[in-house]
Amino acid sequence: MTYFMFLLLMALVVGLVAVASNPTPYFAALGLVVAAGVGCGVLVGHGGSFLSLVLFLIYLGGMLVVFAYSAALAAEPYPEAWGSRSVLGYVLVYLLGVGLVAGFFWGGWYEGSWVVVDGLKEFSVLRGDVSGVAVMYSSGGGMLVICAWVLLLTLLVVLELTRGLSRGALRAV
Amino acid sequence: MLKVLIPTIMLFPTIWLTSPKWLWTTTTAHSLLIASISLMWFKWTSETGWTSSNTYLATDPLSTPLLVLTCWLLPLMILASQNHINPEPISRQRLYITLLASLQTFLIMAFGATEIIMFYIMFEATLIPTLIIITRWGNQTERLNAGTYFLFYTLAGSLPLLVALLLLQQSTGTLSMLVLQYSQPLQLNSWGHMIWWAACLIAFLVKMPLYGVHLWLPKAHVEAPVAGSMVLAAVLLKLGGYGMMRMMVMLDPLSKELAYPFIILALWGIIMTGSICLRQTDLKSLIAYSSVSHMGLVAGGILIQTPWGFSGAIILMIAHGLVSSALFCLANTAYERTHSRTMILARGLQIIFPLTAVWWFIANLANLALPPLPNLMGELMIITTLFNWSPWTILLTGLGTLITAGYSLYMFLMSQRGPTPNHITGLQPFHTREHLLMTLHLIPVILLVTKPELMWGWCY
Amino acid sequence: MNPYVLMILLSSLGLGTTLTFASSHWLLAWMGLEINTLAITPLMAQHHHPRAVEATTKYFLTQATAAAMILFASTTNAWMTGEWSITDLSDPLANTMFMTALALKIGLAPMHFWMPEVLQGLDLLTGLILSTWQKLAPFALIIQTAQNIDPLLLTLLGVTSTLVGGWGGLNQTQLRKILAYSSIAHMGWMIIVIQYAPQLTLLALGTYIIMTSAAFLTLKMSLTTKVSTLATTWSKSPILTATTALVLLSLGGLPPLTGFMPKWLILQELTKQDLPIIATTMALAALISLYFYLRLCYAMTLTISPNTTNSTTPWRTQTTQASMPLALFTMATLGLLPMTPAILTLTT
Repeated sequence: MTYFMFLLLMALVVGLVAVASNPTPYFAALGLVVAAGVGCGVLVGHGGSFLSLVLFLIYLGGMLVVFAYSAALAAEPYPEAWGSRSVLGYVLVYLLGVGLVAGFFWGGWYEGSWVVVDGLKEFSVLRGDVSGVAVMYSSGGGMLVICAWVLLLTLLVVLELTRGLSRGALRAV
Repeated sequence: MLKVLIPTIMLFPTIWLTSPKWLWTTTTAHSLLIASISLMWFKWTSETGWTSSNTYLATDPLSTPLLVLTCWLLPLMILASQNHINPEPISRQRLYITLLASLQTFLIMAFGATEIIMFYIMFEATLIPTLIIITRWGNQTERLNAGTYFLFYTLAGSLPLLVALLLLQQSTGTLSMLVLQYSQPLQLNSWGHMIWWAACLIAFLVKMPLYGVHLWLPKAHVEAPVAGSMVLAAVLLKLGGYGMMRMMVMLDPLSKELAYPFIILALWGIIMTGSICLRQTDLKSLIAYSSVSHMGLVAGGILIQTPWGFSGAIILMIAHGLVSSALFCLANTAYERTHSRTMILARGLQIIFPLTAVWWFIANLANLALPPLPNLMGELMIITTLFNWSPWTILLTGLGTLITAGYSLYMFLMSQRGPTPNHITGLQPFHTREHLLMTLHLIPVILLVTKPELMWGWCY
Repeated sequence: MNPYVLMILLSSLGLGTTLTFASSHWLLAWMGLEINTLAITPLMAQHHHPRAVEATTKYFLTQATAAAMILFASTTNAWMTGEWSITDLSDPLANTMFMTALALKIGLAPMHFWMPEVLQGLDLLTGLILSTWQKLAPFALIIQTAQNIDPLLLTLLGVTSTLVGGWGGLNQTQLRKILAYSSIAHMGWMIIVIQYAPQLTLLALGTYIIMTSAAFLTLKMSLTTKVSTLATTWSKSPILTATTALVLLSLGGLPPLTGFMPKWLILQELTKQDLPIIATTMALAALISLYFYLRLCYAMTLTISPNTTNSTTPWRTQTTQASMPLALFTMATLGLLPMTPAILTLTT
């Protein structure tokens, strides 16, 4: 299992490098999906299966939209994947950086640092993540209202910023 | 104190509410009234030195002459600037007099303050009106440069002073001049204390100005309108000397050694600025440099820290205040007629204005310290006390006196004697106002001969 | 902009700051900051010209980065110490990261580079909000956590900001950039004293807000954004010309005006803490700022720039803008110094 977690974390880093190395948008979106999926895998490994499922579903929905947008708005005739020269340079530089940092901290990640959430509470009836959701709905009502307001506000802000055909200046196209 | 301060503040409604026709008359009369009330300060009622009206404002023999000089100068400034401000729109005239009056308010609070920090704030507060007078009402474009020099020289000196004062307050617990002289003498022995010592004095030495940090003064004097030059020479420079005398009490053990370079610089400055005067072509600049030269003597007298030195410094400050202000007025009367400050362009004015030549003569004699006049008294006391400290100083001070006589003579001969050039024949005759102005400057100088103890300071 | 939308945005702007004020939990404080950022973004881009949009984008990116760092810092702190409370930010890594993030948020040097660029792209009222109201929420957080933060970091941020704020403004001709640099310098004064006397930070913030509001409202009234335009305001609003010079000198901190009060008290506090060298450095750094204020005074009030007769005698129409706030702020900017003891009592 430790080996599997190690693999997942590696995949997370590689996925992030894939996004950060500045390829064509839908390749970057692919990297984002990889990073998100693997991140959910890491969460599962820590015992948060419910949370990771929710996160994965929401992320997948979001990523679909991102794919659609990048395909519609930023489709390029000559897409640059990770093999092309400029992107490859970034990939190598980032990987080198990751390698350096990893070498610096090598040995810091050991068996004991991988703690499963359930392992902390031996006498709990419910799993930590499930009960956390329940607690959020039962006693975090005010927070939920604020969160809802923030979401609404974000919607308004995005609409206000992109509204209008000619004056939606945030869109370069 | 408030008997003077409140009427001074009431000048503002007077300025803004009188009808335009009576503006100059009322303000002059009002300020002259204030000046005559201020003479009451000369009547000592207290034996201890301080005559206080409340805990924050008090007068003592050191501040009284300067306070009275301040009050005396406002009507003179108003009289002097009447001619060149009159063509302006009425609101600007009012604004100009407001500036002058606000300057007087700040100055009264500066000289009357018992808290050093209040003195400091008022010392700084005078910067804004003076800056506006110089840069808004000066004539040439160089006035902006002069304003910048004026502001930044003074502030660069006085911001360390603020920190030094706050440190002093931290170590003694008070900044009141009434209490401070009785506080424990400070243990000053480290390098940090020496820097503190310098920070306490440099602001005032810049304001004074000491030779070496004097560059702002000639610029400011040359570019300022007449009232600005007058108040700068007569009172604002004296803020430096006054502040130094107040601070010297606290700086005692260190000043004995640390003052040497400054004394030398001051004495050297007398010679140097005097020599600059000798080859000056610009009338106002000459008077300005002569101020620097005289102030060098004052700085020397204060730094030497003897009773004679202090007395001489106050006497010289008062006498120089009146005389240099008179000289600036005279220079301005010439400037208003010939529109030039260059001396060579307006020679032989004695033929055209004989009475004015008399004023020039008296003012110049006072400037070079003619025997009975208070200028001589001050210079003599300072020279004596310096001589007592080190006989070699007589070389510098004596030569300085000689050079002073030289350039005063040069100024008089250059502007009054000699052939009258053809281009200046059609000049406007002198107004009674201008004669009155000169009279009001010179009468106190002459009267002080008969009762010099008014400005003897603590030694009386 | 639609008045309903405007109302929602402005009230959210208020809500964000209030939320941060009221919160004791990091998550809520972070949320308040984010609401704040989100709500002002459309206001910044309300005039849809490229410069405003650029400014909005820059602002959004810096604020988002700062907010993410704050979230990361608070999570790290919770991970290390198990505490989500704002005042218990005790992990050194979290502390430093948090302070750096907030320095980025309020534009302290050396994280100040976005500030002049963003402010220059905004219209004056939004600029006013940006340089006053937007500082409040971060400052509420800084004041709560300042006791735990490394003093060296704070001092460094403070001194650098005052120096950079003075230095950067020296060769600017754009008034909003000058005001941005002035803001940076003032922030430096507030940060330097925060560990010794937080009430002085509040006082400095308050006076800064008053003075900056007066400056921005003056510019708004005379519709000037450049020094060259400033030079011709005297023919349009003579009294404003006179007061503006004093407002600017007050921002510079010259004695009989309000701006001297925070500087004086902060210097006093610094000398009380036996930091005379830092105090002197700060005081002399303020002198650099004073230079560009003085230049503005020269351009606006103390000289009359050469011009044609027609342009010096324009129609002086009655303004439709509200002049009461301007008058109030100007009065407060010029005359609060004698009120120092009362104000000091209010803030402690």
